[in-house]
Amino acid sequence: MNSTAKAPRKDAAVKMADTAPLLALEEVAIMRGHRVIQHAISHEMTSGQMTLLTGPNGSGKSSLLRAIAGRLIAAGGQISCAVPMVYVGHQDGIAGALSGRQNLASWAGVNGVETAAPPKNTQIDTQIDTQIDSAITALEADSFADLPTRLLSRGQRRRFALARLYLSPANALWLLDEPSVGLDFETAQRLDGLLSAHLDRGGMVMAATHLPLAPRARPKVLALGQINDPMPARAASPDQPETGK
Amino acid sequence: MTGFTHQIKRDLAIAWASRMDIGVMLLFFVIIVTMFPLAIGPHPEILRPLAVPLLWIAAFLSILAGFDRLFAADLRDGWLDQVALSKLPLFAYVIAKAVAHWVVTGLPVLVMVPVIGVLLQIEVPQLPAICLALAIGTAALTLLGVIGASLAVGARHGGGLMALLVLPLAVPVLIFGVLASQPEAGMILSPHLKLLGAMMAVLLAIAPVVAAAALGEADDDGGA
Repeated sequence: MNSTAKAPRKDAAVKMADTAPLLALEEVAIMRGHRVIQHAISHEMTSGQMTLLTGPNGSGKSSLLRAIAGRLIAAGGQISCAVPMVYVGHQDGIAGALSGRQNLASWAGVNGVETAAPPKNTQIDTQIDTQIDSAITALEADSFADLPTRLLSRGQRRRFALARLYLSPANALWLLDEPSVGLDFETAQRLDGLLSAHLDRGGMVMAATHLPLAPRARPKVLALGQINDPMPARAASPDQPETGK
Repeated sequence: MTGFTHQIKRDLAIAWASRMDIGVMLLFFVIIVTMFPLAIGPHPEILRPLAVPLLWIAAFLSILAGFDRLFAADLRDGWLDQVALSKLPLFAYVIAKAVAHWVVTGLPVLVMVPVIGVLLQIEVPQLPAICLALAIGTAALTLLGVIGASLAVGARHGGGLMALLVLPLAVPVLIFGVLASQPEAGMILSPHLKLLGAMMAVLLAIAPVVAAAALGEADDDGGA
């Protein structure tokens, strides 16, 4: 429905790509409870780039992704993102009572997945259905797409969470939290291919992972260190130089 | 279909998949109400003035029973994160949740009212006024419950906290609801009913905004 309104903006984004970052993190601080986990993450991304978030457990990878997605309030700094985001977190966002197909349909529904079809309800809906069908087929989930997802294994449910990526806008920033956990080897490889294809069409990917992901796309690595300073909030002040730990 | 109707459809599909829960809720409602004639005894002159208040209290309790799960399930399985990032505004999501919840809990109670009315010696001419008032009153209670459920969503014992939050606020709804259910003869659109409607309208304006603000900040500590 927004296809006409969206086209010029996308052109502008492509033109701006060399100059303005589409995702900008400036000195972002992350707190969990009363503990500062990260106090100054700065990072920029633009069209076609991929960033891997690495770091030990508890270094704030998931929290940073949630902060970018707007589901966790950053304790400090600026986060700005100019493109739509698709988030695949620890929780799959899938209701156990519904089938994978139903889950995908409601996700596409609340996201108003855009299609090129004329704005006639029935046609849009059937087109979304075909998109969902092809996403399910691409992830080889046909045989269990109509079972309640609570009957499925973790990896099978994960496939439906990742199937959303097939329905994503081309310019979207994908925020993936350990996307390959629970997947079998072949599906993990398929995920690599999907990520590369998304980067090729101008999308962006930021993934927290402990495993190598899409190595051919040559992702940048943003390594988050463990902060052991018990009072790191002070270290963030500019007049006091950081002294390691 | 818009995102709003898709959200309603999703909730109804989930409710249908666990329709036993609705049956249990209805049975709970029926049992509460049938306890009273059994306890009081078959004295129409005692039962009749108590019938409408009993009906209301039973309806309130059975609707409240399902509220603790309203947002908790969406938060737990990560659906709330998906909605927050989607094009569906959170307040529209909240209204959709309220509509679906009312259809799943309020509507079955309304359908049961004529049946239960017989047990409580309610006469047939009274039924339209009772059903109308209950329809509005349960909708108002649903909106109150939405506020409570959104505030209690991260709490460990959300259910009890929610009842404590919501029930005192529901007292005006109960008072005017019971009055509106017993209008003077031939007057369905009583002033009490209009006040009840006004309360629902105010809640309809407030509840989505409050709940959306609460859910927007809801941070699932279990996730990390």
